[in-house]
Amino acid sequence: MSRVVSFEGLWCVFEHRSGQLVNALHDVNFEVQPGEFVCVVGRSGHGKTTLLRVLAGLQPPTAGQIRLGEEVVEGPGADRAMVFQQDTVFPWLHVRDNVEFGLRALKVDDEERKSTTAHWLDAVGLTDFADSWPRELSGGMRKRVALAAAMAVGSDVILMDEPFGSLDYFTRRNLHDVLLDLWEETQKTIFFVTHDIEEALILADRVILLAEGKLVDDIPVDLPRPRDEDVRASAGAVDITKTILAHLGITEEEATQV
Amino acid sequence: MTSTDVLDVRAKAQRDKRRRRIASIVYIAIGITLFFVAWVLLSLEASPWHYDIPPPFGAVGPFQDILQGVWGLFREEGAIAHFWSNLGTSQDMRIKFVHACPDLHPANVNNPFRQVASSLMGWKYTSDTAALTGGPLPVPIGQLPDYCYGYGIHLVVTIIRILLGAAFGTIAGLAIGLSSLVFPKVAQVFTPIASFFGTAPIFIAAPFFVIWFGVEVPIMTTIGLVTFYTTLLMYFFSRRAAENIPVGIVESALTLGGTPRSIFRWVYLPGTVPEIAGGFRIALAGAWGLGVLVEVLGIQVGGGHLIDIWRFLIGQLQAPSALVALITFYGVLAVVVDALLLVIIRYLTRWSEAGRRLGL
Repeated sequence: MSRVVSFEGLWCVFEHRSGQLVNALHDVNFEVQPGEFVCVVGRSGHGKTTLLRVLAGLQPPTAGQIRLGEEVVEGPGADRAMVFQQDTVFPWLHVRDNVEFGLRALKVDDEERKSTTAHWLDAVGLTDFADSWPRELSGGMRKRVALAAAMAVGSDVILMDEPFGSLDYFTRRNLHDVLLDLWEETQKTIFFVTHDIEEALILADRVILLAEGKLVDDIPVDLPRPRDEDVRASAGAVDITKTILAHLGITEEEATQV
Repeated sequence: MTSTDVLDVRAKAQRDKRRRRIASIVYIAIGITLFFVAWVLLSLEASPWHYDIPPPFGAVGPFQDILQGVWGLFREEGAIAHFWSNLGTSQDMRIKFVHACPDLHPANVNNPFRQVASSLMGWKYTSDTAALTGGPLPVPIGQLPDYCYGYGIHLVVTIIRILLGAAFGTIAGLAIGLSSLVFPKVAQVFTPIASFFGTAPIFIAAPFFVIWFGVEVPIMTTIGLVTFYTTLLMYFFSRRAAENIPVGIVESALTLGGTPRSIFRWVYLPGTVPEIAGGFRIALAGAWGLGVLVEVLGIQVGGGHLIDIWRFLIGQLQAPSALVALITFYGVLAVVVDALLLVIIRYLTRWSEAGRRLGL
């Protein structure tokens, strides 16, 4: 059952070692409809990951709240599975057991657990590696294991914190396709944190722009799918890119140098 | 790359694996050979330790009869021959140990299993109980069975005590260490205690155990001390192992619906195995020394006590052979047990690259 995700007056304040208070999130308010693919974009240290961690229930907000439908988020749960930037696949479990982990925790019966696991392993193309150890897989394959595990628990909302940041360009592009296929199949709500504007243009329905913890813009991405090179070079895509760069305080020249 | 090349790569990997296994066996053989070469050199007439260290083997027999010559290595008066000939029963020990082990066999003289069990419980306890309850009186020394005078029974008793102590300590240390992850109060109580005792070198604590619990109740001395020492080590190792599990992995488990119980079962338990196994190897290596030390300090049965007796009889003809043989026995035993542990650890940690490399 998909639900609306509402961010209501969200503040998250950290105390720096020097005693100075840092606003990681500054009165963030927005709403995400079920099945939307939202990319959260911003510079490093501007609150993207904090926003996702608060939504995951791993970090309590200083003020405000997040609601899933009518339910207020108060801690982590399988309805908001998260794929992390770092490698979080359990190295001591076979690929199959990794995907089964959440289902075991949720006490899903054996038969359903096995069929669900087989389905998601097939969906991410890892059926032949079900009995492998994670150390025997490439970085991209391990990300696919994490994605399958997150999908398998039946979350309404999937949270992804720069999941493909450490991968090479070709693997990343391949995983974008895998992720979009899964999203189209399941229509889950996806929050995807990235600092890569091109990645956001390929994936998102909507871009939430954060700067110094504040929501500075909420940009709809009305580009046709699939978003190949031509679509990403279209006037609409260029306009979105310019808007994002302007908000981030980066000129086009600087962007091309980067 | 063609499919033939792939097959070549696989065959090469198999060859390398086989070569590594053979190399490790060769290294062990070289190590053992070097050990005995050093021993032989130290026992030569030219060596300053000639009178202290007996040769490991007897003299090699006549060259023309190789088989007889090789057999001579094990039947002449070398340390290994001495150990072997005294393993089951020994007339020499019957004469020399008559004052050393008066409590060796109290009431249950005819049942070796009960004897081992009661040795774990403490001889004094069984003797006293028998006297108080009007049960069978201790058997006179002259009627003790032959095996009471062999090295074997003493060594078996020591091995059982040390392994039992290490097992109890490991269970206790892991139970406290891992439960402290789920219940922080346990950590608040145990960490200061473990830190306090952990800073005192355990070999200094050993005599106090002997004084506190006496020499006649081995379960409180040898087993007690080894348990205490292993508990401390395993507590620290299990805590450290759990702390070294990346936070991201635990958080990922939480967002996948993990409960404290499922995270303990599927994350902490398997994830801490490599460090805990490494800690257990260290604990067991220390436990051998500690267990024997306590017996040298005054337990009435056990390999350490044999060492103490032979040390007392050092001026006598066989004493150096006996001492060297016993010490070598414990050394070899510790190495063999460690090798077995490595095989088990390699299996348990086969998921990690480091665990794979731990193997022989």
